[in-house]
Amino acid sequence: MTLLIRRRLRSAWNGFFALTGWELGRNLAFTSVGIGLLAAIYLGFFRLLSYLETVPLIGELLLWKLTAMMMLATFMMVVVSSLLTALSTLYYSYDLKFLMGSPIGIRKIFVDKSLESLFFASWMILLLLVPYMAALIQVKGYGWSFLGAFLWLAAPCLTLGGSVGLAFTLALLYLFPSSRTRDVIWVGSSLSLTAVYGLVRFSQPERLIRPDALMLIVEYLEYLQAPTAPYLPSWWMTAGLSSLAQGRPASFAAYGALLWCCAAVFYGALVWLSGRLYFQGFSGAQEGGSAKRTLAIRPLLEPALFWKERLTFFRDVKHWSQILMIAGLVFVYLFSIRRLPLDNADLRSLVSFLNIGAAGFVIAALGLRFTYPSISLEGRSWWVLRAAPLPVDLVMRQKLLFSAGPMTLIALLLGATTNYLLEADRFTAWLSLGSLLLITWGLCAMGIGFGALFPLFAVENVHQIESSLGGFIYMAASLFYVAANVIILSWPMNMHFQERFGNAAAWDFRLLCIAAACWIALHGLAFLLPWSLGRRKLEGLAA
Amino acid sequence: MIEISGLFKRFGDLVAVNDLSLRVEPGEIFGFLGPNGAGKTTTVRIISGLLKPTEGRVIVAGYDMARQPVEAKRQLGLVPDEPFVYPKLTGAEFLRFVGELYGVALESQRKRIPELLEMFELGPWGGELVESYSHGMRQKLVLAGIVLREPKVLVLDEPMVGLDPKSARMAKEIFTTLARRGTAVFMCTHVLEIAEKLCHRIGIMTSGSMIAMGSLEQLRRQASSEGSGLEELFLSLTGGQEYLSLLKHL
Repeated sequence: MTLLIRRRLRSAWNGFFALTGWELGRNLAFTSVGIGLLAAIYLGFFRLLSYLETVPLIGELLLWKLTAMMMLATFMMVVVSSLLTALSTLYYSYDLKFLMGSPIGIRKIFVDKSLESLFFASWMILLLLVPYMAALIQVKGYGWSFLGAFLWLAAPCLTLGGSVGLAFTLALLYLFPSSRTRDVIWVGSSLSLTAVYGLVRFSQPERLIRPDALMLIVEYLEYLQAPTAPYLPSWWMTAGLSSLAQGRPASFAAYGALLWCCAAVFYGALVWLSGRLYFQGFSGAQEGGSAKRTLAIRPLLEPALFWKERLTFFRDVKHWSQILMIAGLVFVYLFSIRRLPLDNADLRSLVSFLNIGAAGFVIAALGLRFTYPSISLEGRSWWVLRAAPLPVDLVMRQKLLFSAGPMTLIALLLGATTNYLLEADRFTAWLSLGSLLLITWGLCAMGIGFGALFPLFAVENVHQIESSLGGFIYMAASLFYVAANVIILSWPMNMHFQERFGNAAAWDFRLLCIAAACWIALHGLAFLLPWSLGRRKLEGLAA
Repeated sequence: MIEISGLFKRFGDLVAVNDLSLRVEPGEIFGFLGPNGAGKTTTVRIISGLLKPTEGRVIVAGYDMARQPVEAKRQLGLVPDEPFVYPKLTGAEFLRFVGELYGVALESQRKRIPELLEMFELGPWGGELVESYSHGMRQKLVLAGIVLREPKVLVLDEPMVGLDPKSARMAKEIFTTLARRGTAVFMCTHVLEIAEKLCHRIGIMTSGSMIAMGSLEQLRRQASSEGSGLEELFLSLTGGQEYLSLLKHL
């Protein structure tokens, strides 16, 4: 086992020292951007927690309730993420044939691959939680040893979350080694997950945190004090941390022991089971697709690249499951908008405007999953396009069109339906919808551009592309782009509101021109800079 | 034809290709030999437009690969050392895709794709996803894509790897037939027997530099070993005899 770990450390070491000065400088520059984003998240949480701290009587309860919800969300995200990474890491890694053919025990190979899967499923989610914990420590004055306590509890908690995906995949491949059955089960599982997510949301849990929805103040206090999902490790982690904060180290130690014991037992059981199940699943996974297919008819007017994108995308069953989840997400999003307690026309228009930011964030997240990886997903077949008589720009344009079409539809659905549900006034409705559509195209252009700037043709699964440095930078740039759009558009929106409130001289055309210039510059930068840098990178890159 | 002049490729301090100049005429099969790490695949990638040279020029069928890459690539067919093709396309769809990329007429595609699949014994698998193909089947599929469009210049990087004897023989027939029709063939191989039988001229490269080039007879004269086979020539030119002392330890 130490040999397997040493090879990883040696590869990482060699990879780092093989970086040229320019590559190192570039990575440092982009890492600084990422750290800037984490700092911004920290500031946001710091303000929120500082406010909660000032709420009389229930401030402390609200703060820990929020912490419990954060931990629950993190745990659930790791579960979903591990479901996505486990299959490719455990069964389709490029070095598995070598490892399986070596005189290494099957359980050791499982441990090696499962730790890799756990790492990729959780590192970015954990990293995004660190600013929250840092803000909590600052606001409450817990001291930095509290961060160590958090990491001590987070390790077994996230191991448990990631082990869910490992267990599901191990069982699935053992029980259904045939690829077709496996695909059907995989999609069925995703559908169930989407349905559960929808059901939880449609049960309107937000009614519980609105004091006016409860009969008595006592009920509200009871809700705040009650555990959030008490049987899940995320609650044990929250309870452990709150115990430490309240000066009860014994309770903290007990929750820590509970988490570590459960993680050891659950993961240990998986390792033991892998001795019986892993090889059979691996053997079945090698059989590949054997289904007979007929020649797909290509419409005459559809460009060849677009046709290829369509076929390869829709034939990958992993995409179907994610499309189902997106459908669930869109419905839940619109349901949440409909349930917003807004009884004022001005407030509704304001929310419709702010929807640019919320829907823009959703599009950016989808862009990270679907648009950004599209260049890297050419994988080792990239030579086919590189050797073909095609300019790189054309390949990028076709990928942009393939991605931007469905994204525009989603943006249209989120934007237009929200405006309809909120009965936004005409100016706000057109401003928010128009800018959301433009932002969508900007995010897609950035996705293709950044994807070309940081291509990873030799990865094993799409999750590694998303969670790479380039993916992180794309997400940071996207969030900045969406936020900058909202800030710039808030100037004309402000004038519009002043006019609504009766100010006859609300429109300041000088300020409007400045806003328009900033807006054009922002979009020009978003559309052209990553695109041209990415194109140049691909043109100079070896296939 | 292919014209390479003053080609250099450096990766940091390593000189992978060192001042390479050569010319492959239409109808000629040029064998490119050398030990592992000699810079052969780097050269192939530069000729095919997959890699930019540090210095030098590559002209393919009259088009400069640096200045007119699209036109140059239209004339060129590449068979890479590892035939990775889109796993989620079927064999027939991949050929259709190649046909579209290189502008093969639709009628010709409809007629020739089934013929080519049969010819390469891929007919029964033409409707299956490439992910279920073996290495040899993928290699044959890439070759079928080359034959579909009959390029003016053919660049082959270890084209026989993974092919069964029957397919290997057919591949050799295809290369010689294309050469007879005027295609310039640049073939990188480790199989000296194939190079000896197929190639009109041979170049031997070590450590990025071309150390010998010419017909088999010219190489024999250069190595002062009349009547010897290519294997002996190759070993005498590349200094490969030292393995004999290592074998004594076995």
